Amino acid sequence: MTTQTRRTLAAGAALLTLGIAGGALAQAPVKIGVIYPLSGNSATAGNYSKMALEVGAEVINNGDADLAKIMPLAKGGGLPGLKGAKIQLVFADNQGTPAAGQNQALRLISEEKVAALIGAYQSGITLTASAIAERHGIPFVNGESVAANLTERGFKWFFRTTPVALDFARAYSSFLKEQKAAGRKTDTIALVHENTEYGNSVASVIADQFAKDGLNISQKIAYSANSSDVQPQVLQLKEKNPDVLIFISYTSDAILYTKTMKELNWKPGIMIADNAGFNDPAFVKSLASQVEGLVNRSAFSAGKPGSVPDLFNALYKKKTGGDDLDDVSVRGLQAFLVLADALNRAGGTEPAKIQAALKATDLKADQMVAGYDGVKFDDKGQNVLAASVVTQMRAGKYVTIAPKARATHEAILPYKGW
Amino acid sequence: MKRYLLPGVLVVLALAYPLLVGDLPVYGRLGALVLLAAIGASAWNIVGGYAGQVSVGHAVFFGFGAYASVVVYTHLGWPPITGAPIGMVLSVALAAAIGVPTLRLSGHYFSMATIAVGELVRVLSSTSDFLGGAQGLGGPAMPRTVFDLSFISATPFYYIFLGVLTFLLGLTWMIERGRMGFYLRAIKDSERAARSLGVSAGRYKLYAYMLSGAFSALAGSLYLCMFGFVDPESGFGILISVKMVVMAALGGAGLLFGPLVGALILVPLEEFSNSLFGGQGAGFTFMIYGAIIVIIARFLPSGLLSLFNRRSTRHVD
Amino acid sequence: MSSTLVQVIVSGLLLGAVYALFSSGLTLIWGMMNVVNFAHGDFVMLGMYSAVMVWTALGGGPFAAVPIAAMMIGTLGVASYFLLVRHIMKGPMLAQILGTFGLALFLRYAAFWYFGANFKTLPDTIVGGSFELMGIRFEGSRVLAGVMGLAVTLALHLILTRTAVGSRMLAVSEDATAAQLMGIRPQRMQALAWCMAGAATGIAGALIANFFYTSPTVGETLAILAFVTVSFGGFGSVLGALVAGLIIGVVESLSAYLVGPVYKDVIVYILFVLVLWFRPQGLMGKA
Repeated sequence: MTTQTRRTLAAGAALLTLGIAGGALAQAPVKIGVIYPLSGNSATAGNYSKMALEVGAEVINNGDADLAKIMPLAKGGGLPGLKGAKIQLVFADNQGTPAAGQNQALRLISEEKVAALIGAYQSGITLTASAIAERHGIPFVNGESVAANLTERGFKWFFRTTPVALDFARAYSSFLKEQKAAGRKTDTIALVHENTEYGNSVASVIADQFAKDGLNISQKIAYSANSSDVQPQVLQLKEKNPDVLIFISYTSDAILYTKTMKELNWKPGIMIADNAGFNDPAFVKSLASQVEGLVNRSAFSAGKPGSVPDLFNALYKKKTGGDDLDDVSVRGLQAFLVLADALNRAGGTEPAKIQAALKATDLKADQMVAGYDGVKFDDKGQNVLAASVVTQMRAGKYVTIAPKARATHEAILPYKGW
Repeated sequence: MKRYLLPGVLVVLALAYPLLVGDLPVYGRLGALVLLAAIGASAWNIVGGYAGQVSVGHAVFFGFGAYASVVVYTHLGWPPITGAPIGMVLSVALAAAIGVPTLRLSGHYFSMATIAVGELVRVLSSTSDFLGGAQGLGGPAMPRTVFDLSFISATPFYYIFLGVLTFLLGLTWMIERGRMGFYLRAIKDSERAARSLGVSAGRYKLYAYMLSGAFSALAGSLYLCMFGFVDPESGFGILISVKMVVMAALGGAGLLFGPLVGALILVPLEEFSNSLFGGQGAGFTFMIYGAIIVIIARFLPSGLLSLFNRRSTRHVD
Repeated sequence: MSSTLVQVIVSGLLLGAVYALFSSGLTLIWGMMNVVNFAHGDFVMLGMYSAVMVWTALGGGPFAAVPIAAMMIGTLGVASYFLLVRHIMKGPMLAQILGTFGLALFLRYAAFWYFGANFKTLPDTIVGGSFELMGIRFEGSRVLAGVMGLAVTLALHLILTRTAVGSRMLAVSEDATAAQLMGIRPQRMQALAWCMAGAATGIAGALIANFFYTSPTVGETLAILAFVTVSFGGFGSVLGALVAGLIIGVVESLSAYLVGPVYKDVIVYILFVLVLWFRPQGLMGKA
């Protein structure tokens, strides 16, 4: 054990000297490690997020005249707090496995000497990757993983900017209660969710919240992600004919459900999709015309022309060749901007300084690219101002319909479909 | 004296490896990952290589080991490693339950049946609240005592894994030399001939399967101790089974050091190609990984060790 | 019987015919050469991408896509045979798993590199949308795939059992050395089998793409189903794969509808293991 402790101390000292050296050399870029699923089943999400972060880094390094009017960091020339150091993103692929996520986290910390980490999309992988960061004392900012237990581990280096499942559930609940008050039928609600970590955790939180709010979930259907066929499930729905249908699905299943519902010619009065698959740009591009009037939640709301999300969206669109920012990419981008802000205020790349700066984060709503009320972390590292907007599919695009403060359109119901 | 030189150098190298790469945590970890993969593939080798029963469902045992370790932590608060013997015992029982109906099947039918059982267990595990459902379960977030094995450095893991692998290979060596090894080879060459010689083929295949299952479970427990998390996909996923097979086959199945050689090639290949190309997000990692496997299979279908070990070509069927 | 239940069974039968369609190529080479192709799912995936390309580049529907996909994947089959399979057949059975698994990864990520990770879908109007017949709804593209599944299976069966080429292929699969003595060139027959298997798989992919989604990893979802279908039916039996496909399709649909979608795979796997318990050579395989 003694040799080990000694080596750890030596490594820590080495890191510390490097950190100091990094501070002294003003022009040396600050490295940020980014772990995303860049291959495997979630590669679409990972690759979109990667492009969003690249847009973010370009804005900070090279500046953007319009954004600079609102965001102090968008003036270009790197991070002023670090004497103009530019940001260098180092991407790594978690391959969709917790093991690869952890191996890459270690590599980014020990080989690339990154100042902080961002990632890792899937909750299970965020869990293993952030455990390595915690043991090495490197800040880890998570922008997308919603599993509740991530912030319950007593970690000191873990910060999460995304809203969690409970926020989504509340958003749906209040939306449905408004609709009920407006006279729409919401007596029976069907909850259809895929059976991996994402679908299961969100579904159970929604079920709990709805029970508290007196909304009646009459049918709950769990199915395996990447199913080869969903006709039996749609037939079950068609038979019970619920007033409200809520989907918690990945892209593959979203595509199959959309196609199958049209094939079997059935639609509910209100259809809600919990993001994910139904927000995938590939889905929106090819199937938007078959889900007209679909209600969704998103962390992205395009907002008024000239607002932060609007300007970032224009840059992102240029980068991707026509795709809008969506929930996943905007949450990743927001996590990056929060970290960049903290780095700037830290005035150095020593982990402890960044950690302190992250803890002191206090960003206001007008600085947000995601639809949050701001960013402020509690003791557990959770952003208490995280929020979601409710959106609706209108002629190939999601527009914001709730909450009132952000809404750009009124909701049009019932669900039209195709 | 001379014939002990190369093995001697290799043993010293294996023992000194963590010291040689002491300042490079990624390489320290790489050594541990190689050994862990070699444990899994060597365990598979007992039934898949020596007895010739190609199981593509060993993730069942691996997952049992991993889950046993995380369950004793989650539900009882014990250090995860204490779940290892439990996982091994359960896996022996499970191997008997799976082996009795499936080991009668011949060739590819056995492989397919093991795939089906593996998928079955994966789906069922994702519906069990006791096992954390689809969300999976995490080990101790922060080390409580040294027994939680939550080290920052990979060096302790390296030596633990090296010890386990040495024990497993020693055991395999004894089996190979003994009566059971003789029977298993006979079964592999021709089960019918083995039976006619009075070998109780079914029983010995089952013994090999149970032993193989026990050590696959141990590999799973050790995995959990190192990575601290398991969910249905990373515990019971078919890729875990396939990787065990591929590693053993690449090095040389049915040979004592075959799986270790396979792990020595494939694990660094996977890690380095991911580190080099993974960040581009263009899928090069797996293109290279796949292409190299194809090339080795094309030119050395009996595995890398067939280059050095002419005897192994005799086993080609 | 309620009309919903009839609809479930009809859907299951159509699904089963599709399973048979994408399994027929696998069972052919499996029976002919005792080779398991772990890259089979990725052959299907490439067939699907052929259809997507035909649609996006030429605006063509299945009538253009099917022959193109058949040619492309047939060629891929022959190339795989000459460059890889021919050589790994000399080694132990494990070499097949090793070689075709490597091939699977390579093809999957070559598609990933070339087409990107995004999901592609074809418009549902491509085969005339959906229609209702006697209270049961049908989807044009699924009906087409189901009918073609039956046709391809029967065609393969007839070729193997009723033609001179077929008997030569079977002779090679029985005993390559003896066949060679009778003047049959085993390699040529085996290459032909890979070509036919590839073509059938390409057709399957091109038809599935019409109602499914296409992504580089879609092969994984389909491969395990194909393995189960083929061994359920019996290696080498094209008709066995058809029967097994139909049974699996109906059992899946019924169990998803009556028990719950999460358990449908569990029920199929249990059924599969039970079938092997009573018939270790599959439903229609040779003992």
